[in-house]
Amino acid sequence: MTVLADILTILLNGLQQGAIYVLLAVGLSIILGTLKFVNFAHGALYLIGAYLGLFITGQVPLSNGQLADWGIEAYGIGLGFTAALVLVPIIVFIIGILMERFVARSFYDRPDTDQILVTFGLAVIVQELLRALLGGSSQPFPQPGWASGPISLPIIGNFPRWRLGVIAITAVLVIGVYALVEYTDFGLIVQAGTLDEEMVRLLGIRLSRPYLVVFGIGAALAGVAGVVGGPLANVNPNIGTEQLVPAFLTVVIGGVGKIEGAVVAGLMLGTLQVALIQTGYAAWSQVGIYALAAVILLVRPQGLLGSEVDVA
Amino acid sequence: MPTNGSSVSRRQLLQTTGAAGTVGIAGLAGCSGDGGDGGGGGGDGGDGGDSDSYPALGNFPVEGDTVTFGFNVPQSGPYSSEGQDELRAYQLAKKHLNNGGGWIEDFEDLSGDGVLGYTVDSVNGDTATDADTARQSAQRMINRDDAVMVSGGSSSAVAIAVQGLCQQENVMFMACLTHSNDTTGKDCVRYGFREMFNAYMTGQALAPVLEEEYGSDNTFYQLYADYSWGQTVQESMNQFLSDVGWEELNSVPTPLGTSDFSSYLSEAANSGADVLLLDHYGLDGANSVSQAVNAGLDEDMEIVVPLYNRPMAQAAGGSIEGVFGTIAWDSQIDNDASNSFTTAFEDEYDRVPSGPAQLAYAQTLQYAAAAERAGTFYPPEVIRELEDYEYDNVGLGQETMRACDHQAQRSIPVARGLPESEQSDGNFIDLVQVTSRDDVGYACDSGPAAECELGEYGDE
Repeated sequence: MTVLADILTILLNGLQQGAIYVLLAVGLSIILGTLKFVNFAHGALYLIGAYLGLFITGQVPLSNGQLADWGIEAYGIGLGFTAALVLVPIIVFIIGILMERFVARSFYDRPDTDQILVTFGLAVIVQELLRALLGGSSQPFPQPGWASGPISLPIIGNFPRWRLGVIAITAVLVIGVYALVEYTDFGLIVQAGTLDEEMVRLLGIRLSRPYLVVFGIGAALAGVAGVVGGPLANVNPNIGTEQLVPAFLTVVIGGVGKIEGAVVAGLMLGTLQVALIQTGYAAWSQVGIYALAAVILLVRPQGLLGSEVDVA
Repeated sequence: MPTNGSSVSRRQLLQTTGAAGTVGIAGLAGCSGDGGDGGGGGGDGGDGGDSDSYPALGNFPVEGDTVTFGFNVPQSGPYSSEGQDELRAYQLAKKHLNNGGGWIEDFEDLSGDGVLGYTVDSVNGDTATDADTARQSAQRMINRDDAVMVSGGSSSAVAIAVQGLCQQENVMFMACLTHSNDTTGKDCVRYGFREMFNAYMTGQALAPVLEEEYGSDNTFYQLYADYSWGQTVQESMNQFLSDVGWEELNSVPTPLGTSDFSSYLSEAANSGADVLLLDHYGLDGANSVSQAVNAGLDEDMEIVVPLYNRPMAQAAGGSIEGVFGTIAWDSQIDNDASNSFTTAFEDEYDRVPSGPAQLAYAQTLQYAAAAERAGTFYPPEVIRELEDYEYDNVGLGQETMRACDHQAQRSIPVARGLPESEQSDGNFIDLVQVTSRDDVGYACDSGPAAECELGEYGDE
């Protein structure tokens, strides 16, 4: 195995690891940047996405939890993975919209701490509800049949097919959201609203609806992340909270509200983490990403691509 | 073993008449037993938690007419499927102890009418596959619920933490699934007994099979769970594979509860080793082996999972095909005890029991039988009944619960995963051989036992 192959493997693994961070961070970042709303329930949306994905994909046997106590042996409608990939973002989009309308909206004008408390509370409720109903045990999330097994790549050799799929799906979605924000009228209104809300309202444009949609899109991205990230490992009630911290870190490193920033930061974190594991410093992989975050924030408090105005 | 003298206390009399009242003379005859070859005769009618003959110690004497066992298993975390199956087996053991069935007829010391005239009750705990949580849960069982015996495991870190606590509290610990050398090695305790074999014995049983299958002069690479269990598996596999001429290229620790092994596996693939050992258990093991196969590692190297079980093979699905490993027990082991446990478990739960379930069931009955032989729940007497006890009634042939380290000397089943097309109805593995206990093990002054200091009985 050559050094080149080693480096390419690290980059590809890093891209895959980073992809999930990116998907979560982009949603989080546009909500934070546009609506100035700190959403600690973003991990819960990922969690909902993963469980919904399981539910739509197949039949999951229940061995503990309240539903099992009631005699329900399995849950799921068995429509397959592709159906989950299509349906989950739609459902989580609707959940996001409901969350904006009934939870977030009344907290826009309140301090960050209030927003953190209410969304974190919401996240805990979702997590514990799932635990109570479905049990705390981890469920394997089967990979889609069309993407299981290895694929042979030049130089690198075998690589899991699904992990390439994760990178591709992430790329498509992120480019889509970027185009929506940068090149459409909708995006223009959202960007203008971010810069000067009062002026936009004076021009006779209602901002509540675009904000609703932004929140929905951010939520849907987290939902997709749950579906594509589920088969990489397992699904259990803790995965949402576990993903929340790296996702926030990605947002902060990349610069709040910057989609490009989230992409760059996510890939940096993923690659660093993978590089540390593959070079024999696995124990340092978690420390590494926080150390990187600390260094970047010391040098550029506004994040890599953030502008100083945005931070204020 | 000497039991307490001949004086009959008020409680003994009440228990004897109570037992006679509920099950009649035939039941009483079964309860008093006709000795049994395991040691010592059951006494006449059971002396219960006789507080007159022995001083109070731990949760002895037992108050009231029920005796409480604590079942401390992982109901969440990476070993939760194992834990759930253990819990099913514990509940079955409790049911059989109180009402008969299963192995009760074959355990001469047991009556199927409670233990020593007491009805068996239980409390369950969730260890979350975490040593601290497990310790707290066991502490609660001991302090609040007055458990006289705690059983559990699945995670050696858990078993070691809990048996340490049990030693301190003078409460019996019957280890369920724990495979680290340390459990009956450097961390052994007087109050803990292990039916399960350990990593050292796995190395002894597996190395010859691997050599025969894959030849000598192989290089191997290990990924191991980074705690007591994984560390001793890594050590022992290295030791015994080196003995057959294999060479370890590298071994890399992975944190317990890692769900994504892709980066570790890439590095393993790049090592160019002939064989990859995945020293992971439970869901971690199922994940690492399926991710290895998904990444195509099985095309260039042979994969070995030194310790696995039925739920793991099930979760890994087709990825377990051709993978060698040792297992605690399997329903395919064909003898009376094995078959009767499988039947009883299937009748109750409509599913095939796993190896950890057999351990849970066996350890609960083993404790109850020892208490019956001792004629008391007084822990030092129960311990003496278990030490050097010879038995052949748990489905793995003749065994000895060795006194010097409380490690069962037993045979080791070696298994190989079946291809997905042949997997069905709880059958995921092919039993390659059951390695005789004569071919594995070590003397009391060597191997892990050399480091074992059991500690005090509590009545010195």
